[in-house]
Amino acid sequence: MSSIAITRASPLTTIQDIGRFGMLAHGIGPSGPMDRTSFREAEAVTGRHCGAAIEFGPLGLDIVYSGAPRMIGLAGGSFAARLNGRTLEWPTDAEVSDGDVLSIKPGSSGNFGYLRLDAEIDVPPVLGSRSTNAVVGLGGLSGRALTAGDELRLKDLPAGTIPSDATGSSHENGPIRFIWGIHADQFPLDLRMTFCETRFVISPSIDRMGFRLTDPEGIFTDATILGLVSDAVVAGDIQILGDGTPIVLMADHQPTGGYPRIATIIDADRDAFSQIRPGRPVRFTPVSVDHAHGIARALS
Amino acid sequence: MLMPLGDRALLVRYGTVLDAATNRAATELAARLLDAPPTGVLEIAPNLISVLVRYDPSETTYARLAAEIGLLANAQIPAPSTARHHSVPIFYGGTGGPDFEPVADQLGMTPEAFVSAHQADRLTVLAVGFAPGFVYCGLHAPALIIPRRSTVRAQVPAGSVLFAAGQTAIAATPIPTGWSVIGRTHMLNFDPDENPPTFMRAGDTVSLVSA
Repeated sequence: MSSIAITRASPLTTIQDIGRFGMLAHGIGPSGPMDRTSFREAEAVTGRHCGAAIEFGPLGLDIVYSGAPRMIGLAGGSFAARLNGRTLEWPTDAEVSDGDVLSIKPGSSGNFGYLRLDAEIDVPPVLGSRSTNAVVGLGGLSGRALTAGDELRLKDLPAGTIPSDATGSSHENGPIRFIWGIHADQFPLDLRMTFCETRFVISPSIDRMGFRLTDPEGIFTDATILGLVSDAVVAGDIQILGDGTPIVLMADHQPTGGYPRIATIIDADRDAFSQIRPGRPVRFTPVSVDHAHGIARALS
Repeated sequence: MLMPLGDRALLVRYGTVLDAATNRAATELAARLLDAPPTGVLEIAPNLISVLVRYDPSETTYARLAAEIGLLANAQIPAPSTARHHSVPIFYGGTGGPDFEPVADQLGMTPEAFVSAHQADRLTVLAVGFAPGFVYCGLHAPALIIPRRSTVRAQVPAGSVLFAAGQTAIAATPIPTGWSVIGRTHMLNFDPDENPPTFMRAGDTVSLVSA
């Protein structure tokens, strides 16, 4: 029997597998990793088949491992990791043995990191997934975020395929690409143009449901659109609250919502977006659906 | 009207206003699509006035999928129906329904008359959404339409019976809401240990009764 004792956990630290799909018609969103590319990379670096991840938040994670030696993989953003005091590269794989202390502290970039092991985290799947949706209290460890004092038991994995690599967004500093949203036509043309020219800033208010943006020039302040019928929401939707605050909806989004959506970030750029830290600027630029599919093909 | 919702989903929206015909069109298209999903479709979810279709762009293109959905949407074939009927027992008022009497007042009705009017029509499950198992039921008669409250309650318990915009909604989990809370039911449309986790579906019919 092996296990992980959590001695320190950043806020927003949860158990995540690839997600809980197919449940929208039951009012349940997909959850899953905020940065799916790094989630896969943390498995790929081990060269092994891995189980669900511990997705840790901006302040990192400290754990003590107990049990027979296992491989771990670490990826996502750029964190500062030490194993028994020895500095690890990032991303990296490593072997952990009984009593080993892994300490992950914030590094130079990124909001979310991934710890994966060649073992399964022994929490029960809920509706086909171990992903935590802490907003509605489903999955993971008792449907909640992980905190110091939690102990996660591990169990052996059945044989599975090993990902050969982990391609995803190559996006670095350019604008985040989007497709005009389902309510874009209700915003005036000049406001839509301003949206594409504005430098927004990631606000301190980020979580797995969404990232609030600071809109320094208040371009949406007088753009309230009321009376919309509640409609489908997908991750990457940029919705404008009644007070003009833009929010980018993320992995734990509600499946439907009544605020206007001006844009939807393309799938290929959502992982990179999730790693932009509060205080950093972000710009958006429109692309066509066909162009977005071309980007996805080029990455696969 | 078909429109992209990002690059992994397509939305078929039948209007911008919720009425019975618009909702029925969305529910029926979802049933047709579920019956014969086009290539590359990953998930189909009916909403109040639209249908969400998630797809895999390595299996199909937006144009191809839009064309196939367009054919299905226009087909003169009856949608397969698996609709069921549910009777929802409600405890009106009290601590579980703090807005019950104010809503009756707002409508100019006695509490008894409001209960009677509230139960008068057989309703349809218009959609499941917003939260696990959360159902929108409607539509009530025009005389029963009130707006949402101006303030949001941070959390109401599972089983809360909500009323606004000509609809009665039932929360199956604790949720924040700006709707009036008029009662409570023990009938919860969500059990995470069951798959499927809900038993009330868009298109089902609903009678509201006093518990």
